[in-house]
Amino acid sequence: MRARLGTISLLALAALALTLSCGQEKEKVTLMLGGAPAEMDYWEELIADFTSRTGIPVDLMRQPTDTDQRRQSLLVPLKAGESDPDVFLMDIIWIGQFAASNWLEPLDEYIARDDFDLAPFFGDIIEFADRYEGSTVAMPVYIDAGLLYFRSDLLGKYGYEEPPDTWSDLVEISLEVQAGERNQNPGFWGFLWQGAQYEGLVCTFLEFATSNGGMLVDRQGNLVLDREENIEALWFMRDLIFDHEISPPNTYTEMKEEEVRSTFQSGNALFERNWPYAWGLHQSEDSPVRGKVGIGLLPRFEGGRHAAALGGWHVGISRSSDAKAASWELLKFVVSREAQLGFALRLGWNPARRDLYDSEEIAEEAPHLVNLKAVFETATARPNVPYYSLLSRALQQKVNAALSGSIEPEEALAEAQKEALDIVERYGR
Amino acid sequence: MKLKALSGRRQERVAYLFILPLAAVIVLFIVVPVIGTFWTSLFKDVTYLPTEFAFLSNYKRLFTDSNFYQSLRFTLLFVATTIPIEMVLGMIFALILNERLRYRNALRATVLIPWAVPTIVAARTWELIYNYGYGLANYILALLHVSGDPVNWLGSPVSAFFALVLADVWKTTPFVAIILLAGLQTIPEEIYEQARVDGTNLFQRFFKITLPMLRPVVAVALIFRSIDTIRILDLIYVVTDGGPGGSTTSLSLYGYKYFNEGDFGYGSAIAVVLFILAFLLSVSYLRIGGFSRDLG
Repeated sequence: MRARLGTISLLALAALALTLSCGQEKEKVTLMLGGAPAEMDYWEELIADFTSRTGIPVDLMRQPTDTDQRRQSLLVPLKAGESDPDVFLMDIIWIGQFAASNWLEPLDEYIARDDFDLAPFFGDIIEFADRYEGSTVAMPVYIDAGLLYFRSDLLGKYGYEEPPDTWSDLVEISLEVQAGERNQNPGFWGFLWQGAQYEGLVCTFLEFATSNGGMLVDRQGNLVLDREENIEALWFMRDLIFDHEISPPNTYTEMKEEEVRSTFQSGNALFERNWPYAWGLHQSEDSPVRGKVGIGLLPRFEGGRHAAALGGWHVGISRSSDAKAASWELLKFVVSREAQLGFALRLGWNPARRDLYDSEEIAEEAPHLVNLKAVFETATARPNVPYYSLLSRALQQKVNAALSGSIEPEEALAEAQKEALDIVERYGR
Repeated sequence: MKLKALSGRRQERVAYLFILPLAAVIVLFIVVPVIGTFWTSLFKDVTYLPTEFAFLSNYKRLFTDSNFYQSLRFTLLFVATTIPIEMVLGMIFALILNERLRYRNALRATVLIPWAVPTIVAARTWELIYNYGYGLANYILALLHVSGDPVNWLGSPVSAFFALVLADVWKTTPFVAIILLAGLQTIPEEIYEQARVDGTNLFQRFFKITLPMLRPVVAVALIFRSIDTIRILDLIYVVTDGGPGGSTTSLSLYGYKYFNEGDFGYGSAIAVVLFILAFLLSVSYLRIGGFSRDLG
């Protein structure tokens, strides 16, 4: 009997000690994000620097690299209203859903209290992506937009001085160079782009459509997926694979960012549509195309304009956070000039601060970024609605089906439009 | 407390006490979540909308959802294709491994390797094998000069379907083989001796002796495999992510996407449908297995 009492009291003491120690973690900020190993290493350095300056401890919760899995691991604690994570990174397309679900702490009070200057940032992006029902709920960390990469050496070899301005020019040049290069390299392709059934396909489709004068949402805010210009653009995408045959058949099954990048980097393509991140990798020590790559705007259709899909990652504070003041300090640090410069020079990320693009440091060490500022300012955003992921899935599926040849573009976009309207009715407020 | 001194009644009560922890675990981790999912499916539960009781409207919506029917068709077709192949192949392997072979133990261990490899790792490998540009499958085809162009294995709904069937059968046949092998080893050798004396041939021995005696074991293998396959998610997520054009989306994957997008109500409804299907399958197998007869 005495022994049992002894055991019970020991256990009770242990439990008490545990709960007491849990209470002490209240002032620590939990930061949740994912990325490539090199990126994670840099974040560790960054938060160590932050802690040494401010004395606020930061716990880094690591997520997988895949963007869908990152959202999934955020969804669970946020929906459950847990106090961790306090700060986290979001893909630009999640902000609408997170804000409408009441998971983001409004930042206007903190901005006003600290007299935080928003002028150095891309104002349009903050206005469109980071505001929800009048309040600012997030800040951009880095910006992304679709670009055209090209082999400047091959263009020169076949007598072309400039990258193509229109899509028909691109097709013409690709056919010539592809035919020529296939003599030595049978696996050579003219133009690589992301066509697999995933979020990236919406970006690619958005670019082709916008460069033809098309759009997903009109000026009144109505969904117009089956517009004539969109259908034409989708036909063109399909023709690239089956008619001109300058894009490989697995464009619509396997081609995502990394597939496209590695195929281009191994020297097997003339043109590539990809995000700015690929530049650093193409220029790395062991890259076969080092020094032979140029970047420029994606081509346009006759009568259209150059278009680029807007991407990027943003930072927010959880509404259920138990360390909001400390989290705000961390957030300010992440978007500070110093940290942003570090992202640009160490990781090749494009800063969210517009003023950095005109700076001396960038001009010296990352000159390719200087021209990107204009691209970011005119990039086309995807609809910032809470149910965006459902819209995206419907569009992805239909566009991919059209690319694979199982249905015609007219039918695909008409069905996508019908499903989209259904989604708006069901999920819109 | 000396057990043998207790009366029958008290023995029973003590026995229930011992079962209590297990029953608690089953209720807490199995019954409660299942009921919880049922409950959630009766609501319009979207993270960015006010939650409201919707009774059966999620199920009504399923009835008119063409994507749901596509997933249902794919899942049932997938189960109907892979299960027979696994069972037949598994039986063949089991029969071979039952014979007195020289390296029997080594063979048995080797056969288990596909089953032991984590599904995600195997799925990634298959994804690479089927890769259009640098995959092993196209490489072998090119070596053998079979076709001029590389094959787009995951490019059409039909070829993607069979690509997935192959990957799944490769992974799970060993499981069936091991279970059937265990059953084969319980069949006494004397029965076969007697049958050989009576002048029966190989096929007659297999169909008249082996198969009937293996019936309960076959039913167990069928139940395990069917419930696993009907819920399949990881293999499909990695190899095709439901593409091309959504044609290889399994029911699990379809429900998962809704959860990931914040619609917990609809996702739960899909999960409930899956649960009912799996349940019906297992019940029908139990009848085939003749378990009720054995217990009688």
